[in-house]
Amino acid sequence: MTSIFEPVLADLGERQRDEILAAFAAVEHSPEPVPEAVAAGLRDATLRRSVAEMLHLIGRTLVRAGPGQWTSGYRDDVAERLTADGGNPLPLADRAVLTLVLIHSVAIPRTEGTLSGDSWVDGTPTPIEELQRRTQLPRGELRQSLGRLRAAGLVRVVPARLRPGTVPQNTAYLPGPQFHRLTETARRRLQEELILAAGPDTPLAAAIRRRRAPAAEKETS
Amino acid sequence: MTGPDETALAWARARAGGPLRVPVGTPAPAGMLRLPEPSGDGAWLVPQVPETADARVLAEMGLAGPLLEQPNDTARLLAAVLRCCWPDPLAPIWPGVTAGSAPVLAVFGELTGPRDEMAHRRSAVAALRRLDQAGWLLWDETADTIRLGPRVALWSGSDLSTLRQLWRTMPGPQPAPPAPEAAP
Repeated sequence: MTSIFEPVLADLGERQRDEILAAFAAVEHSPEPVPEAVAAGLRDATLRRSVAEMLHLIGRTLVRAGPGQWTSGYRDDVAERLTADGGNPLPLADRAVLTLVLIHSVAIPRTEGTLSGDSWVDGTPTPIEELQRRTQLPRGELRQSLGRLRAAGLVRVVPARLRPGTVPQNTAYLPGPQFHRLTETARRRLQEELILAAGPDTPLAAAIRRRRAPAAEKETS
Repeated sequence: MTGPDETALAWARARAGGPLRVPVGTPAPAGMLRLPEPSGDGAWLVPQVPETADARVLAEMGLAGPLLEQPNDTARLLAAVLRCCWPDPLAPIWPGVTAGSAPVLAVFGELTGPRDEMAHRRSAVAALRRLDQAGWLLWDETADTIRLGPRVALWSGSDLSTLRQLWRTMPGPQPAPPAPEAAP
């Protein structure tokens, strides 16, 4: 069977093909972003363009996850179609737990001004006790959800910060390395969705709704 | 602006949700393997990348692979399913045959060694769920039957010869004894 990638690879020498395929495999399968240093196909701008072309053919795109770090994500137009179908492979409970981690680790610190930038990977770790307090799930189910989310790279476990005079906490959670895969558009969309959910009556939410409705945009501009 | 083409969408859907189940007569998008469902009800589409572009490249590059929950039990359960659902290891691995969960759990028990019944069942069910979600096997919970999943069709010739050797060293499923149900 001919590979779907032949149009990109056909005119290249064997060595370049191997480097491009290896870089492609690395960004698609590595749970963490891939440093350029380990993959010639990412280091060299021409080869990297071919990696991006391969990804494009299968609905993906190359995402820069920091200086010299690369990963892949869904193309914005493809993500829009996939989510429009309503399809979501994550069970409802897992989505609820993941949202709690995003709110407490990233959204709240960002609102309070203790966290800058638009990354969803760094933030303030949310202790397990906080999740237990905020969730409506029984403890056993919460634990199982966190296990699945961790295996999927959607949350990661970090040691809870010890504050003087407090009882040491077990573990704490941050969003996982999969959040590196979000494109700039996807990161902004996630932020907007949380604003719409948490403060639907705020001026910020109204502005988001206005921007999303093309007809309204024409009227106001 | 036109939207994404159907090939890109099909690949992305398979990335998000695993192998795609499609109605009879659906053509395979470029680069996808089309596997007829043995019941005649539709087919599976599985994305196929060149062997030099699959996940095993990570190890060659010194990168960590994906995190797997309970990797040993999960691998043992997949081995047990392989032993029970691939009766003739010289035949193609897909689609294999359907097996009841009892013989699969019995072979799994042989591989894990003695455990208390509850722990045995719990670890088997957790592994079944993980493998089913990932498309390595198909677990019909209502009928309590298990089959190999469409992903196994991607195993290469050299993968299969390793698996054949493993298959031969494993205990096979025993016919269920007619004796009393509950063991002490």
